[in-house]
Amino acid sequence: MGPNGRARVRFGRAELEGNAGEPLLATIARHGWPNLVRSVRYHRPRGPFCGVGDCAGCLVRVNGVPNVRACRHRLRDGEQVATENSWPSPRFDVAGALDLVFPHGVDSVHGLRRPSWAAPLYQRFARRLAGFGRPPTPAPPTAPPPARTLRADVTIVGAGRSGRAVAEALVHRGVRPLVLERRPVPLAPTTEGGPVAGTELLGSATAAILPAPATAEPAGGSGGLELLGFDDAGGGIRVRTRALVLATGSYDAGLVFEGSDRPGVVTADLAVAPLGLPFEEVVVVGGAERARQVVERLEENVVAVVAPAEISPELARAAVERDVPLYPRSRLVRGVGRGRLRAVELGRRDGSGRFRLACRSVVLAHRRLPNAQLAFQAGARRRWVDVPGAYFPVVDALGRSDVPGVYVVGSAARPSAEAAPTPERVAGAVLGDRDGGPAPAAVPPRPSEIVPYYRELLREPRRGKWVLCPCEDVLLDELERAAERGYHGLELAMRYTGVGTGLCQGRYCLPEAIAILAVLERRPPAEVGYVTQRPPLTPTPLGALASLERPEPSEPRP
Amino acid sequence: MTLARRDYRTVVVGGGVVGLYTAHHLVRAGAGPVLVVDRGRLSAGGSGRNGGGIRQQWETRATIRLAREAVAAYRGFASEFGHNVWFRQGGYLFLADGAAEMARLERVRNVARAEGLDVRLLGVPEVERLVDGIAPGACLGGSYLATDGTLYPYPVLWGLLEALRRAGTEVAYGVEVTGVARDDRGRLAGVLTSEGRVATGALVNAAGGWSGELSRRCGLDVPNVATRHEILATEPMKPFVDPMVVRASDGLYFSQSMRGELVGGLTVPHPPGVDGGVPSSARFLTSMARALLTLLPRLAGLRVLRAWAGFYDDTPDGLPLLGEDPRLAGFVHANGLGGHGFMLAPSASRRAAQAVLGEPVDPEAREFSPGRFLAPGGASRVEGLQLG
Repeated sequence: MGPNGRARVRFGRAELEGNAGEPLLATIARHGWPNLVRSVRYHRPRGPFCGVGDCAGCLVRVNGVPNVRACRHRLRDGEQVATENSWPSPRFDVAGALDLVFPHGVDSVHGLRRPSWAAPLYQRFARRLAGFGRPPTPAPPTAPPPARTLRADVTIVGAGRSGRAVAEALVHRGVRPLVLERRPVPLAPTTEGGPVAGTELLGSATAAILPAPATAEPAGGSGGLELLGFDDAGGGIRVRTRALVLATGSYDAGLVFEGSDRPGVVTADLAVAPLGLPFEEVVVVGGAERARQVVERLEENVVAVVAPAEISPELARAAVERDVPLYPRSRLVRGVGRGRLRAVELGRRDGSGRFRLACRSVVLAHRRLPNAQLAFQAGARRRWVDVPGAYFPVVDALGRSDVPGVYVVGSAARPSAEAAPTPERVAGAVLGDRDGGPAPAAVPPRPSEIVPYYRELLREPRRGKWVLCPCEDVLLDELERAAERGYHGLELAMRYTGVGTGLCQGRYCLPEAIAILAVLERRPPAEVGYVTQRPPLTPTPLGALASLERPEPSEPRP
Repeated sequence: MTLARRDYRTVVVGGGVVGLYTAHHLVRAGAGPVLVVDRGRLSAGGSGRNGGGIRQQWETRATIRLAREAVAAYRGFASEFGHNVWFRQGGYLFLADGAAEMARLERVRNVARAEGLDVRLLGVPEVERLVDGIAPGACLGGSYLATDGTLYPYPVLWGLLEALRRAGTEVAYGVEVTGVARDDRGRLAGVLTSEGRVATGALVNAAGGWSGELSRRCGLDVPNVATRHEILATEPMKPFVDPMVVRASDGLYFSQSMRGELVGGLTVPHPPGVDGGVPSSARFLTSMARALLTLLPRLAGLRVLRAWAGFYDDTPDGLPLLGEDPRLAGFVHANGLGGHGFMLAPSASRRAAQAVLGEPVDPEAREFSPGRFLAPGGASRVEGLQLG
C-alpha cells in the first residue's frame, strides 16, 4: 500500500491512482467510461454491464492473470493492469472489422466452411481470434493459499437483507451462524446495515459447489452438507454444515434488442453499485420499484423512463419531480452507436411508430430474477413463474427445499408478489420446529409479460446484430436457425448455438432465450425446458479447487 | 411419438453418433427402411458429453485401422454433410512420467509405425515446445502424432441427423426398446418398444453407455460396464497448446478447444452402472485441478467454468463389440467403444452395417467379434491405451 492508503497501478502505458482496496473498475472509471473489452467472436466493443462480477464486460489482465473482473478486483499498489483481446486498443481494434465481415454470424453451417482445403487456414485464423486473455504469464512457483475448512451448525449464504434477517433471528435463539458473503466486508452500512452481532461473517467468500447430498462423498462421517467455494485471494473454502440457508437474492435481467450489447447498456445492479461510473444521459428501462431506485440514484442524469408495460405511480412521481419524461408501453428496438451508445430507438407497443432518444446509457431495471442456481445444483426441484419469467426453487411455507438441510429465503426463493415466511419462522424451522403454520395465501398466477414483449419485438425489421449471449457472441439469428432446423427446447438450443455457455454461466442470456424460444416454438416457456445446473456456480480458480482436494480414500480403484 | 411404419428392415437403437452413422451407412447402401430409436434426447448421452478427441495412437493394429478410417471420415465431414465440425489436427501428445510409461509409448510407436503412421517419440525439450509452460520434471518424454486432433462433437450430430431425415429415414427420440421378439427358429423377428411392436430382421445395439443394459434386456449376457467419467472446461484463453495432451500414468487429458477453453478430464472412481445418473462430483473437480496444476502450474489463477459427466461403455479387453451376436441372429452390436465412441464412430459403425448387410467383414474386425467373450481365452488381445 502506498502512502495514506493510496495505491498506484500501471494501466497500459498510464499510471492510475486510487484508494487501496477499492474496486479496480472504480479507479479506471475516474478517467471516463471504461472501454476495456472486445467481444470474443466479432470483436464488438463492450463495456461494464452487470456490476456484480458475472458478465464479461470488464475483464482485464492483472499481474499476468487473464480475465480478471475489474469490478471485483480490489486495487493493490504496484499491480500491472492491461486490456486484452484487442489491438491496438479496445477503443480501436483492428479485428473489429470481423463484425462487418460476418453480419449474420458464424455457426456450423454459415461461414468459414468452404473450400475444405482451406480448413486448416481458417481454423488457425478463427482460433487466434477466440478466447479472451492470453494464458497466464509464468510466475515463480508459489504455494497456493491453503484451503480453509469451516464447520457450523447453520450456514447462511448471502449477507443481504434476507440473510441478515435470518441471522438475527438465529442469534436471538442462541445460535451463532456462519455467514458467507461474496462481497468484501465490512459492507456499506448505509445500504446493508452493517454486520449482525453474534454471527461469524466471512467476506470475499464465493460459494460455488454444492453437490446433491445423495451423490456427495461422505463428509467425514458427520453427515450434513458440504459447500465448496473460494476467497478473493484464490484460496479454497470448505464448509461443513448441518443446515444451509441460501439468501442469495436476485439480480437485474438483461434485455435483447439490436445493439443491446453496446457499451453503456447496463443493469440496474451496476447503476446502484458503488463503482463510480460516470453516468450521463441515462434512459431507465422499467416500470416499478427497481426503476424508481435507479431514478433516485442517478437523479438529474436520467433523461427518460421507458417501461415495457405501465408505470407505477411511485415511479411516475419520482420521475415527474425531476422533469423526466415517461414512455410507458414502449420497447427498445435498437441501440445506436458504433462504440459507446449514442441513442436508442424506441417503439410504441401499440405500433404507432419508432422514435429516437439521444442517450449515453441505458439502465435495465425491468425485471429481477432469482439467484437460486446453488439450490438447483444441489438437486432442488424448480418451478416456473411467469412473472418475472424464471425458475424458482420449490420451497415450503418455512423456506425448506426438497434437498434435506437446504433452505432458500428472500428473493431467491419467491417472487415479491408471494407471501414469505418471517425470518423467525425460518430460523425456527432450521432449528427443528416442525409446525409450518398456515400456508401462505396462494397468489393468482399472472400471465407472462416478457413472452408477449419478445413476440412483438421479433416482428421488428432487423439490420445489425442482435446479440443474445454477449459472453459468447451468440446472435438471435442463430437461435432462430436452431428452431427452424427443428432443434427445439433450451437444451438443444444451447448445444446448437452455445448460448448460456459463457462466463456469466447463462445468467443474462438464458432467461431471455427461454422467452424467445417460447415465441419461436409457439409453446409456453415452462415447456421450453431448462439446462442442468452444474458446478461450479461461479467460475472458480483451479488453484482453489486443487487446494480443496482430499486424500484418496483407501479403497482400490476399480 | 408414433412411428410411421410397423416394419423396418433394420432398427438401430441409439440416436447418438454411432447409431446415426450406422443408419447412414445402411441407408447409403440402399438397405432401408431404417428406423433409429432413442429413449432420450439428441445429444443427451455420450455423444453430447465427450471431449472431442480423435486419435490414431493405439496398442492394437485393429483399433489403429478403425481410427485411421475415422480420421479420414471426419476430415471430409464438413463437405459431405454441410456442417463444420472444426476438426483440427493439432496432434495428440502422450506424456510418460516414468520408465514403464515410456516403454509403453515406445510399443505404441512401433505398432503405429508398422501401420504407416508417423508417431514420434519426443524428448523433454520437444515436449516443452509443444506444451508451453509445462512444469520442469513433469515428464520424461512422450509420443506424438501430428495428424491426431480434436473436433466439435455437436455439429457431427446435426449433420448426420439432417442427412438421414433428408433421405426420409425415421429418427425417433423418446422411444424406448423393452425387448426383442424371436421367430420359431430363434432368429430376431421384431423389437418391442414403448410405441408397440415393430417387425424387423435386424437390430443394431448402438446405445452407448446403456448398450450393456439393452443387450441384457434382450436376453444376451455381455461384459459391457457403464462407468461414469467427468470433464471440466475452463474460461477461454488465447491458444497456447495445440495438441491434446494425455498423461499415460493416470489418464489426465486436456486440449484447448476452438473457443479457447481448456477441456479435460481425469478418471476418479465411481460405482459402475447407469443407475446413479451423471452428476458431477466435487472429488473430480478437485483432483482434476490438482493433476492439471502439476503439469501446468501457471494456470492456478485460471477459472473453471463448468463440469459435466457421461458414461463410458467399457469392455474387459478394451476392444469394442462390432458384429452379429452368435446367440441371436439379427442382433448386431455396435458398442463397447469405451470412452472412444465418438472417436471411432464412422468406422466402427461401418463394421456394424457390414454385419447387418451380411457383407464379408474386414479380417481385423474379428478381434471385435461379440462372441469372443463366450469361449474361455477367446479375447486374445487387449487394447490397453484406454486413456483420454
